[in-house]
Amino acid sequence: MKKITVYTTNTCGYCKMVKKWLDSKGVKYNVINLDDHPEKQKEIYEKSGALTVPVTLIEKEDKTEEVVIGFNLSRLASVV
Amino acid sequence: MSNKTVVMYGATWCSYCRALKKKLDSIGISYQYKDVDDPGIRAEMNAKTENNQTIPVLFVGTDYWINPGQEILDAQFSNNYTDEDEQKGEKTLHDVIMIGAGPTSLAAAVYTSREDIETLIFEKGVIGGLAAITDKIDNYPGFEEGIEGLQLAEKLQKQAERFGAKIELGEVQSLKKEGDYINLQTTSGEMTAKSILIGTGSEWKKINIPGEKEFYGRGVHNCATCDGPFYRDKKLVVVGGGNSSAQEALFLTKFAKHIDILIRKDKWRASDVLIREIKDNDKITVHFNTTADEIIGGEVDGMTKVTKVIGTKNDKKIDFITDGIFVFIGLRPVTEYLKGSGVKVDDKGFVITDKKLKTNIEGIFCAGDVRSGATMQIASAVGEGASAALSIREYLGALK
Repeated sequence: MKKITVYTTNTCGYCKMVKKWLDSKGVKYNVINLDDHPEKQKEIYEKSGALTVPVTLIEKEDKTEEVVIGFNLSRLASVV
Repeated sequence: MSNKTVVMYGATWCSYCRALKKKLDSIGISYQYKDVDDPGIRAEMNAKTENNQTIPVLFVGTDYWINPGQEILDAQFSNNYTDEDEQKGEKTLHDVIMIGAGPTSLAAAVYTSREDIETLIFEKGVIGGLAAITDKIDNYPGFEEGIEGLQLAEKLQKQAERFGAKIELGEVQSLKKEGDYINLQTTSGEMTAKSILIGTGSEWKKINIPGEKEFYGRGVHNCATCDGPFYRDKKLVVVGGGNSSAQEALFLTKFAKHIDILIRKDKWRASDVLIREIKDNDKITVHFNTTADEIIGGEVDGMTKVTKVIGTKNDKKIDFITDGIFVFIGLRPVTEYLKGSGVKVDDKGFVITDKKLKTNIEGIFCAGDVRSGATMQIASAVGEGASAALSIREYLGALK
């Protein structure tokens, strides 16, 4: 089963849209709020190569990872 | 749903009742409709609902709800939803498709869906558009203390959905008028509409200087509410002299220890209230007659980050040591999907309309920031949305 993590900040509108879209597809996910966990900034950078949110990390069954930066519907739809 | 009897109490003059009827019809529910303008029916409803005086009322068996929302309908009737229903949506001829779920379309949708005009809105980004990612909106009437952009967006969305407007998360890729109707290619498939509202608004312009592309998302940003928290106790540069630049810089002071604002001209274009707030904020230094010319970065703590913005102030080179740069230098219309549609745009790419917000193509309307002559204000966008909705109603009335 895919494990999905969404990196967010408190006031980020695009983050809300990613969560809303995942909810609409009935997909379960974890949220890492970088306002609450600033120490995870390095992690998001290592995964995405950027310091921006939202970032959605999809860990697949075969342990490979897909990273979607921003609210990119076509990318999300193809990897989730 | 079990085989419980479904009864709805309503009246012809009640818009909520019309919206509920429409929803029940679309689900394919068999129900009995009772008009409370008949005194006997009204008394019957009062007796069954502890003298409730509000309509519509929906009974499923002996349970009842006053003006039930979508979640109640989903809970009661989800078994009636079929794949066929979902597919039908793609094939249906829509009364109006609105492109972009910003304040313009959401306001227009309140008007159209409330008048029983079937309304579908496409949004490829954030519901609420740029307004939704604005920290605080102080100049939208009706909120004396101001309102957070995201909160205003939610209110607009709920109001539009209350009357039956549907929002599809997806993108319109192209459109073309063929015969009486408009065909659209979308990420949800091919669709046809009797009318279109172009409400895609605008997006932030790029500054087009060396380093912008290289460090985008790694020190170069356009969304303060998204990425501001990465700059706790850091130094920032904000570029732009308008209301957005001022508002977002003030928001960023929640995180940053100091902000240099670079303004190309010799004065602000922002409102006096914001300029005063900026002056009173000792974390902000304003630089007039100053441009950002190049963004420099490098490895910091194992990450590639912005370290400096090279600018020109009063014709002299100047370095701004910084951890990041937020750019708010103006807006450009979002119209890529209109290529090949025949819709006329002005020399800057904004859509041209007449006074009734009609484009040059019958049945295609435009309002808000994407329209040539727009004032780029949320209140104006909402007003234009309402005006466009009335024009659309008139057009659809003549089309029938």
